[in-house]
Amino acid sequence: MVLDLDACIESLFQRQLLAESVIKEICEKTKELLMTESNVVHIKAPVTVVGDIHGQFYDLLEIFKIGGYCPDTNYLFLGDYVDRGLYSVETISILTCLKLRYPERVQLVRGNHESRAVTSTYGFYTECMKKYGTSDVWHYFTDLFDYLTLSVVIDNMIFCVHGGLSPSIHTIDQIKVIDRFKEIPHEGPMADLVWSDPDPGREEFAVSPRGAGYTFGSMVVEKFLHENRMDHILRAHQLCMEGFQVLFDDQLSTVWSAPNYCYRCGNLASILEIGVEGERHFNVFEAAPENERPTPAEAQRALFSNGVPAGLFSNGGSNGAGVGGGGPNGSNGAMTFAGGANGSNGGIDATQDAIHYFL
Amino acid sequence: MSITDRVLLNNHLRHEGLTTVSHDWTMVKAGSLVEKQTLVTIDADATVEDACEVLLKNGITSAPVYDNSKKMYVGMFDYGDLMTYILLLLKKMDVALEDQSMEMRDLIQRTSRSQNVPVKLASDLSGKDPFCTVLEETRLGAVVHDFGTGIHRVAVMDAGGNMKGILSQSSTLDYLMRHLSEYPQLQPVMQKSLQQCGLSNGRVLSVNGDEKVLDALISMSTNSVSSLAVLDDQGVLLGNISMTDIKHIMKNLRTSWLWITCFQLVCKIRLSQGVESGEDQYPVLDVNAKSTFGYTLSKLQATKAHRMWVVNDSGCAVGVVSLTDVFRVLSGLIDTDD
Repeated sequence: MVLDLDACIESLFQRQLLAESVIKEICEKTKELLMTESNVVHIKAPVTVVGDIHGQFYDLLEIFKIGGYCPDTNYLFLGDYVDRGLYSVETISILTCLKLRYPERVQLVRGNHESRAVTSTYGFYTECMKKYGTSDVWHYFTDLFDYLTLSVVIDNMIFCVHGGLSPSIHTIDQIKVIDRFKEIPHEGPMADLVWSDPDPGREEFAVSPRGAGYTFGSMVVEKFLHENRMDHILRAHQLCMEGFQVLFDDQLSTVWSAPNYCYRCGNLASILEIGVEGERHFNVFEAAPENERPTPAEAQRALFSNGVPAGLFSNGGSNGAGVGGGGPNGSNGAMTFAGGANGSNGGIDATQDAIHYFL
Repeated sequence: MSITDRVLLNNHLRHEGLTTVSHDWTMVKAGSLVEKQTLVTIDADATVEDACEVLLKNGITSAPVYDNSKKMYVGMFDYGDLMTYILLLLKKMDVALEDQSMEMRDLIQRTSRSQNVPVKLASDLSGKDPFCTVLEETRLGAVVHDFGTGIHRVAVMDAGGNMKGILSQSSTLDYLMRHLSEYPQLQPVMQKSLQQCGLSNGRVLSVNGDEKVLDALISMSTNSVSSLAVLDDQGVLLGNISMTDIKHIMKNLRTSWLWITCFQLVCKIRLSQGVESGEDQYPVLDVNAKSTFGYTLSKLQATKAHRMWVVNDSGCAVGVVSLTDVFRVLSGLIDTDD
């Protein structure tokens, strides 16, 4: 097959899905490319760093609008491309095409969501099934995820990873010898790099409340930076209401790039622009304007029009009841339990994340 | 000992080990562990629905029930009791498809023939967690012995019969882990493997991911367990379903969730928890069979889970470590010391 990547990218910008055979081909070619990358990829500034996107395709377009398009801007994506949002397929498709098209200008790091176990639970698997009818596309992408690098170092000074540090890893060289070409294990250094979180209230490592990885404190950060002669750790993985967070006396930053997370958190997002001299600037942005994005209800109707039977959705009342907001049980009436949906019946309640329409 | 175990142990030993006096953890008084607690109680004549609201609003899984006319506590009400109550009601009738989406409150009201069932009838319904009391002076060694037999929480009373607080398995574990450096007697067992503690394999009660939630809850009730492993066709662990998951069903009035599959429920719960906390959790809470007892306890404490499934290298569930199992092991230490 002769791939016209530019045409693919053009279609994807219009939010048109690529054919399954095209996705298969793109994934194969990208795996060949990624296979040659080390577990620690060294790059130079200037580069714009992007945090979690989680299938929020319109907000990815927003990122290109404010940060610049490839290949004019160098990009480093820190993982979590899929799950939760409505357009995980489109998001990972376009990023894969851009990596294949501009391999030196685009870096893709693996996040904890680039995993079979996690995508089975958090929405990507279901979205693939709904949009393509089979699980093949999910298999192509999750096989591709096994090849994504684990970390990037910018100008030998900034260590970039999705989650954080590991008690088993003290030096960059230790990361290089990991066999990364597999599903993310439950435990061990590879799991820690994508699951760990900083804890400003601690100095050392502790088991993480997430059930994988660790939390790590100030002494761990200082020791790692000192031992590896670097001055900053850059990561994503945790929601930041302001779009970013700086900790440990500017030794660590979190960048978060999914505004109004799950279409309801109301948070800001950011991308981190690193200049040639190493200067760091957080470019903060809000969710893309509403009128450019369909509501979950419209997305649901779109799916129905593809012939997906309504009964497939477990929330029984979806047969025309409760369009946009309000529970499918038609519980727009009196609320009997206080602990319910954020007090407002009109808004999407805690269990009606957009992705629930897929479950 | 693995690298990570050594790191964690060193942290525990170094952390605030300000005291030079070696304490005996078994001698700690129950009262001291509930000192700062705000007690939440339920009126015995409140309806089951109102009792549920109390649990939800306070983010707790159980509360003592107080009878004003008798001037005494008559039991505990928890999600296990609520679930048993609902199952009893549902067993009595075939719920037609159109009724599967009605509000839980309506369901209960309809089935109790519009007579609000007072919670005193529903408390301790599950029979699994009877109301147990201890005194403020009761030593932790005795409480831990009770926890090891399956009692999940005890009410701590003062000499005048007033309730000071509820001491649960979870809060006791949290206390012991935080003060590990003060109790060197506990350190040897922390380094033992799960196998050495007899916890690495055991009967795993499970449900297939495709089975309905309601059937899983009935199975839990029949087998007198509070959770089931959710497995795929190969026996790989996908997640967990427990009696307390009913709070998610209640919270959003999703009686329809009783008829979805267990795997769908696991997904829904994970999805909402992740958004609420801004951090996604790992889909399953488990430990490898080769892990140490101490690492397992750290994970139980950190995740606030009530059990860790034990998996082999293929991810298949081979056993479970519940809080009851933990306290049975700890209680066993006391017996050997004597």
